[in-house]
Amino acid sequence: MKKWIASLVIALLPVLALAAAEPEQIVRGVSNDVLAILKQNDKDPVKVREQVDARVSPLADYPRMTSLAVGKYWRQATPEQQQALAKEFRTMLVRTYMSALTIYKNAEVDVKGTRPGADSGEQTVRTEVSIPGQKPIPLDFYFEKVGNNWKVFDIAVDGISFTVNNRNQFGTVIRKDGIDGLIKTLSDRNAKLAGNGKQGG
Amino acid sequence: MTHSIPTSLRLCGLALLLAGCATPQNNYDPIEPVNRGVFTFNRAIDRTVLRPVAQTYADYVPGPVKGGTSNFFSNVDDLFGSVAALFQGKFKEAGTSAGRVVVNTTFGMFGLFDWGTRMGLDKGNADFGQTLGHWGVGSGPYLMVPFFGPLTLRDTADPLVRLTWGPIDYIDPLAGQIAYYGVYVVDARSRLLPLDAMLDSQIDPYAYMRDAYLQARWNKVYDGQPPHQLQLGEGDDEDAAPDASGVAAEAADHAPGSSVPAAASVPASTPDASTP
Repeated sequence: MKKWIASLVIALLPVLALAAAEPEQIVRGVSNDVLAILKQNDKDPVKVREQVDARVSPLADYPRMTSLAVGKYWRQATPEQQQALAKEFRTMLVRTYMSALTIYKNAEVDVKGTRPGADSGEQTVRTEVSIPGQKPIPLDFYFEKVGNNWKVFDIAVDGISFTVNNRNQFGTVIRKDGIDGLIKTLSDRNAKLAGNGKQGG
Repeated sequence: MTHSIPTSLRLCGLALLLAGCATPQNNYDPIEPVNRGVFTFNRAIDRTVLRPVAQTYADYVPGPVKGGTSNFFSNVDDLFGSVAALFQGKFKEAGTSAGRVVVNTTFGMFGLFDWGTRMGLDKGNADFGQTLGHWGVGSGPYLMVPFFGPLTLRDTADPLVRLTWGPIDYIDPLAGQIAYYGVYVVDARSRLLPLDAMLDSQIDPYAYMRDAYLQARWNKVYDGQPPHQLQLGEGDDEDAAPDASGVAAEAADHAPGSSVPAAASVPASTPDASTP
């Protein structure tokens, strides 16, 4: 009888884990996986970028991230422009940040807790990334509930948000060259970064 | 090095004079044209002198020497950090930092070795700009200081205190003082080298650095638990949370009589009625 209960519990564990996929658990799971990827491929930034992107992207709400980075001009953009902006912004984030991750292969991620967001559909998970011998860096993940899933719409390093930090420089380009100007600036820049990546890798 | 104080003070005065001509886009950066000029100047100095020296230091100086140098300046930093934490009523952090100074100055041979961390005394991060912010002082205008970098008017308190009461008074010949700050600057700059590529690749490195600095300071004043994100640039909502000027608005909400550090009863993370 005891054995039977035990096997039932074990059988149910994955289901329980799924039901409990709250933001904190998501962050724990993803950070373990990302650190494993970094340890396996620490000499190959391109591979790191591809694998981390594949693991992280299903959890990211890139259109909302982009809308926060573009600010008030987002609503003036046509759906096609919004799509193009989100695509370029995503590429920019992936290229700029994910290739640089290899220096964190010995890092540890401590989940410090969750605090409520702007409304009940939002939560912020606070973590600290520590590398031996250095001050830990606060890293916050902003989650929102989309349907039944939690998705990340912003990330802040030491309080510096990826989205807010781009708003002024994006706004300047839009005021000067319009939304298409920003799309072009971002895609040119991404192409250049891609070129550098090929040379470096 | 004594020149630095009048320079920053003069800049502060300038900032106050020009504080009236803020644009709605960024009322936290009223002297942006001046700041941009200084930024270009600082970057030129950095490219030609500071960055190459820091890179050489990072590449060729043996690890233990670099570690000892960082630890030495970190120990001086802990001394000031302890006082800055005390003035915020953070008695635990103040005590830990003071303990680190005692341990690292004695057993750690004047700070060259960081025994404090190994004894479980974790490094704090208090500074005097944060202390003023804790008691409700707004950040004031953003300043790009020549030969120094980003600051806000409020945060000039920190380098001013450190320059005035720093160990520089105990170093006698001018050459010694120059050497002290020279090594300090190279050590500090070498630790920022990994960020260069990211800054250089931005559309507008000036705005990127400014907005990163202001957000990091906002976060630090609230010990990592701000009531809301600092909103910069033109957000989506007209009625969005206040931007950096909201720091000043919030400062007005703090009770002016609470100048005495009345224990830790006023946590900095307590949001005032700052959201509309």
